[in-house]
Amino acid sequence: MNTQQQYESYLKKTHLLGRIVSVVTLILLVGAPFAIGALLGSAPDLGKTLTGFLAVGLVWTVSSVVEFLVYTPMLGAGGSYLAFITGNLINMKIPCAVNAKELVDAKSGTPENEVIATLSIATSSLVTILVLAIGVALMIPLQPVLQDPRLKPAFDMVVPALFGAMAYKYYRKAPILALIPLCVMTLVFTLAPSLTGSTSFMIIPSGALAIALAYWFHIRDGRKAGGAEKGEKQP
Amino acid sequence: MEVLQSLNSGGVYLICGGIVAFIAAVCVVFMVRAWRAGLALGMDRTKMKRAVTASATFSVLPSVGIFLGVVALSGMLGTPWPWLRLSVIGALHYETQVADAAVERFGTAGGGMTLEIFPTVALLMSVCIMWGMILSALFNKKYTDRLRRAGEKPEGNGKKAGGFGDKAMAAMFIGMVSAYLGSYLGSFISRKPGPEGGAEYVSAVFSFRGPWMPLAVALAAALAMAVFTYFSEKKKMAWLDGFSIAGSMLIGMLVAAVLPA
Repeated sequence: MNTQQQYESYLKKTHLLGRIVSVVTLILLVGAPFAIGALLGSAPDLGKTLTGFLAVGLVWTVSSVVEFLVYTPMLGAGGSYLAFITGNLINMKIPCAVNAKELVDAKSGTPENEVIATLSIATSSLVTILVLAIGVALMIPLQPVLQDPRLKPAFDMVVPALFGAMAYKYYRKAPILALIPLCVMTLVFTLAPSLTGSTSFMIIPSGALAIALAYWFHIRDGRKAGGAEKGEKQP
Repeated sequence: MEVLQSLNSGGVYLICGGIVAFIAAVCVVFMVRAWRAGLALGMDRTKMKRAVTASATFSVLPSVGIFLGVVALSGMLGTPWPWLRLSVIGALHYETQVADAAVERFGTAGGGMTLEIFPTVALLMSVCIMWGMILSALFNKKYTDRLRRAGEKPEGNGKKAGGFGDKAMAAMFIGMVSAYLGSYLGSFISRKPGPEGGAEYVSAVFSFRGPWMPLAVALAAALAMAVFTYFSEKKKMAWLDGFSIAGSMLIGMLVAAVLPA
């Protein structure tokens, strides 16, 4: 079996495993409230769950569809099965996988990217599971440290700290490309400050704008390169 | 108090802990398979180790932040359920919002949790966010196969040259960062403290009295990242790369702890 065939076989088994594991996890997560309810002597009210879903959940459904479409190409097959099972995509898994991919210079859509993204998401998930398990085990003695008012502002700012660091990393590579969506988003949030509660949804237009601009630059650079080649060939 | 005692009972821990253990086993299986596949593809072992180390160091700080989310939610939902939700599938902003909304809709007059409504709240939290996993189970293969076909052809050693795909992914990331930084800037420009003070802010276009801490933290983290990058690139300290994001985040968060709120 050559390398390509081995890779194809790996992908095929990954899809099979990913589907089985996703379905099992789904059953466990939906089943858990029923099991806990049985333990507590009550049961979930399906009617209330439905009305609650229509009121609260539809918006998250749209978000899930977008996340699936946007993040799957970044993470590859194995990485996305794991990421959608383990969650915390925007605040951890995506930047973590992108960081790992950058470190080893793996190109999107390559077998190398598939392997690195899966390794990265699996490692990240295990670290979270471990940290949370240790934290939960130590919860009682840790309470005074964790609830120290001096630490609270720091942990409230995990996301801004993450995006500040990532901004330097990515903006310096394409400052002009970065400047336009940043200015547009700042303007949008300035004129409609109530949107700050929906920042995760504003990723969609912001990302679309950045991709459209990147495509335009890509086409323009391609034409320039083509023009230069023609110029060199002419006597 | 009695409600929390029941929600923190051994049986609930067992149910939630069992699911967390299953997911941990799944992660190990995917990791071992990917490692073996990488070796079979002829990938450099050092590169894979570097990816694992960087991902581990990268994830420690956000995981501590996620754990604090467990602490925050444990007052309302007990400890085991937030532990499960934030270990598997969940995200803090989502869990917090849905749990709050659900308790508000189904809860007692005072908005508190009862043993009667807990299973309904827990089911709603599960149902609202399961669609990514369902889509992944149904369409991941079709979608990734299509993406692979749309990509460039292999170049002998199984490695493909990066085309617009890479630029699009970088652009998507730039878009994501811009949305968040734009929200911090817009929030600072067009919000002001609410009448009740504290962390409450209300809309006030061009008042320049909104929360400035996220901006200060993002700026500090970006500056720290610039320093890390300088040493990594100019001083040939490439090993710093694996710690640059986590280190920058830590410095940004320290600024939040040091600066007056």
